[in-house]
Amino acid sequence: MKKTTPFLQKIAAIFVTLITISSQAQVITREDSLNAGLTPKNSPTVISGYGQAKVEYDMRFKTGVASLTRNVLFIGHRFSNKISFFSELEIEDAKVAGGKASGEISMEQLFLKFNINRNNYLVAGLFIPRIGIINENHLPTTFNSNDRPFVEQLIIPSTWRELGIGIYGQIPKIPGLNYSAALLNGLNSSGFKQGTGIVEGKFEGSNASASNLAVTGSLLYYVKEFRIQASTYYGGSAGLSQKQGDSLKLDYGAFGTPVSLNEVNVQYNGSNGIHFKVLGTYVTIKDADRINRAYANNTPSAMYGYYAELGYNLFKPFTKLSSKSMLLFVRYEAMNLNASLPKNGIEDGLQEKQYLVAGLHFQPLKGISVKLDYVQRITGEYNKLLYVTNPYASNIPFYTTYNFINLGIGYSF
Amino acid sequence: MQRREFIKTTCLTCAGVIGGGALVSLFNSCSPLPVLKMSSKEPKLLVPESSFIDNQNVLIIKNSNLEFDILLVKKKDTSYNALYMQCTHESQPLSATKSGLFCSSHGSAFNLDGDVTVQPATKPLRKFKTETENNNIIIHIIL
Repeated sequence: MKKTTPFLQKIAAIFVTLITISSQAQVITREDSLNAGLTPKNSPTVISGYGQAKVEYDMRFKTGVASLTRNVLFIGHRFSNKISFFSELEIEDAKVAGGKASGEISMEQLFLKFNINRNNYLVAGLFIPRIGIINENHLPTTFNSNDRPFVEQLIIPSTWRELGIGIYGQIPKIPGLNYSAALLNGLNSSGFKQGTGIVEGKFEGSNASASNLAVTGSLLYYVKEFRIQASTYYGGSAGLSQKQGDSLKLDYGAFGTPVSLNEVNVQYNGSNGIHFKVLGTYVTIKDADRINRAYANNTPSAMYGYYAELGYNLFKPFTKLSSKSMLLFVRYEAMNLNASLPKNGIEDGLQEKQYLVAGLHFQPLKGISVKLDYVQRITGEYNKLLYVTNPYASNIPFYTTYNFINLGIGYSF
Repeated sequence: MQRREFIKTTCLTCAGVIGGGALVSLFNSCSPLPVLKMSSKEPKLLVPESSFIDNQNVLIIKNSNLEFDILLVKKKDTSYNALYMQCTHESQPLSATKSGLFCSSHGSAFNLDGDVTVQPATKPLRKFKTETENNNIIIHIIL
């Protein structure tokens, strides 16, 4: 306790200091403003970016970790009114060092966009399909906590990008109704890992198997101040040759050993200062028993997750502060990564998780975020049969409840 | 009538009225927005005031010589907003409803004055100057 109080005081002091910083300057987002006439000097090439950093304090062990979570460099180019190029290069955790456990450098997106008409367009390349909230809207200025919602990290991977082709558009006869459909490379079930669902089965544009495919589609409807979305994903997870498939006894081919994911979400962004969002998702892997037999990775046959978040902009009643916002929010998340297991699966209470996240998201102006939040994580007991642990006294004991305090910054320009 | 029954009936009535109202409102918002098609190359677009039908406060103008549509908004004080339906974040076409404009790509939203209500967009929509003359609304297109 003696060490905790000064640390928390420091965090509070930093946060208060940042709140007092204000600027009347307008940040102009150049990212992707690729249409001639909108970019300075009609430049067809745009460089922009976003990023975030945070310090996390573990209240149980009284330790802190600071990290430059990510920095993303955007480069876009407009070839014509009809064709544009988009790319995002991401560095996670600041540093990538050969032979050492460190960060990651990757292409987050790289695609060409072809405008069919005013209401419809095609994309081709490495892109993020419309699944969940965070995948498409992952800029740190658009979500409240320092961490992305955990359901949208562990059940719905984010950012989930794959190679393929997609069509996006709107239905003019029903104002506010939008659609998307895409054909992508599938997943790799040999990469599925206990505790992260399908996350490690993504290819992310790197030597992806094109032998197995995935289809995804979504409907998105804006009505008044609500945004309502439903999306679905169905894809094969065994891009194997006939010999490999027969040997491992896995269904191969375009949609062999399928993974299915369905998701719905509703968001409310009220002019009254109230913000609300809910999301629910369910994943089924019907051949999980065969995947376990082939790869021994304890793949579940079903997983689910959901969350609800409520927030209020404390600056809303003050017209002088209309260019800034101070969102007080609370979010509850629950998920089970082994909701259903095949006969050869091993249950692990650790995979049933709940999160309570509450905090403040301060924006002195649009494009800049300062975030302070508290996270409580509650899990079930871990299954000792599944983990190799240090038997000595120095071993860190396991607890089902952990509490964290995070302070971070984010930007997007 | 028992107190419990009264409360139950009242609550059900309220729920019915609110639910019914919400459904009516939803169905109303589903009706397509009026569209005016043009192919003018002039820097001034002439829109008859009579183009606003059925007490609608918004009108989509599709000019084949412009890359994006324009949402013409009739304000309460009888002035107009002419908003270019291009998202200021990623230049995607916007989806218009009677209550605002939305970008399906990254969730940016704008009100009928063109101001950002939901990020990631940070700057307001391009707004063209308007004036009224002889029952026509003149939109000055400067790209």
